[in-house]
Amino acid sequence: MAHDVETVRAALATSRDRLLPQAHVVATGVGYKITRGVKTGALSIVCSVTQKVALNQLRPRDRVPPAIDGIPTDVVATGVIRALQARTARFRPAPGGVSIGHRAITAGTLGCLVRRQGQVFVLSNNHVLANSNDAQRGDAILQPGPHDGGKFPDDQIANLEDFVPVSFLGLPSKCRFASGVVAVLNAACWSIGSKTRYRTVNLQAIDNRVDAAIARPLQPDQVKSEILEIGSIAGLGSGSLGLAIKKSGRTTGLTTGEITQVDVSANVQYGPGRLARFTDQLMAGPMSQGGDSGSAVLDSSNRLVGLLFAGSENSTIINRIEHVFSELRLTL
Amino acid sequence: MKRAVAAALALLISWTGAAGEKAMSPTIQEVKTKHAPRFLALSGVVSVGIGRDADGREVIVIGLDRARPETQASLPAQLDGYRVRVEIIGTLKAR
Repeated sequence: MAHDVETVRAALATSRDRLLPQAHVVATGVGYKITRGVKTGALSIVCSVTQKVALNQLRPRDRVPPAIDGIPTDVVATGVIRALQARTARFRPAPGGVSIGHRAITAGTLGCLVRRQGQVFVLSNNHVLANSNDAQRGDAILQPGPHDGGKFPDDQIANLEDFVPVSFLGLPSKCRFASGVVAVLNAACWSIGSKTRYRTVNLQAIDNRVDAAIARPLQPDQVKSEILEIGSIAGLGSGSLGLAIKKSGRTTGLTTGEITQVDVSANVQYGPGRLARFTDQLMAGPMSQGGDSGSAVLDSSNRLVGLLFAGSENSTIINRIEHVFSELRLTL
Repeated sequence: MKRAVAAALALLISWTGAAGEKAMSPTIQEVKTKHAPRFLALSGVVSVGIGRDADGREVIVIGLDRARPETQASLPAQLDGYRVRVEIIGTLKAR
């Protein structure tokens, strides 16, 4: 027999205080009873539990009766109910989509977990985990990042493992030939008493394909393979024009968009006066803000397609995951 | 037998024809790759990529940090047969 909602609410009001202290019960409410996965038309008193336990494993007083005042009950496993945490909070285990950063930076986003030779690492940008090249292997990575209150050593979650250096325009060149030529010139200047010295800089843009780094968790159980509000990664995909995408990031949370440009070559600023050229990037609309760097970008089937690293007021720039995985020798 | 030879000949001609055509017109990727460094050296150009126009055709998209009348005036409307669109993207920053 179906009861009206007021009758069920009244029954709940008198039984709530008896139900909530029972072992495993975390919430009570009024809802339609679900039998074998199908919603029935009968209103019931719903008891949410951390986990379902066989009746004979429970003390009699912890058993939810099949009916209260003639109204059926329903036991639903919801798990532990927690207040929703801000993405800038400390998470253990830490999922993808939360604040992370090298000791010397502000904060970025923990993208997702990846593997290299069977070991698990966290993936984000070079400018998040490796301070834009200014870092050493083994440096402390904090969760949350320093800007979000992450402190060393209490909030250290990982050590920097590896990064792909970003090549900046107009910075000292790493070309050995040019360095040799300049050394000769400078020796000549010195020998004639000139105070002028030469140095080599990159005038020609050296094209970057990724802004990526990985860090090794201190403990494997302090990180989590799921991404906040997205869930598990279903595999690897590839970005193409018009593809619907989503990301989960520290600052703007879960956002969706569409790939508006492919094959993008772009000049990207890294702080005042520092510029880097990137090629073969993906561009999407405004779906990120500062602090979202390092977010994993997925398609609507949860396939990983990119690593978010830059943007403007009305665009977002994303590394192709193919390049990230090949340059850092990663797998899922 | 004659028929088979004729068919083979026709196939050969159409194949060489197609190959010739391909060599004549480069892909939009090739055109973009060839010209991107030149555009990215212009003041205010932040990106060069491949997008779509309202009709779904692929176009070369040149992104600017803000309105740049001088740079815009120097940009072509077409490149090797592909349309060029100019968009204000804004300054791109690592986030």
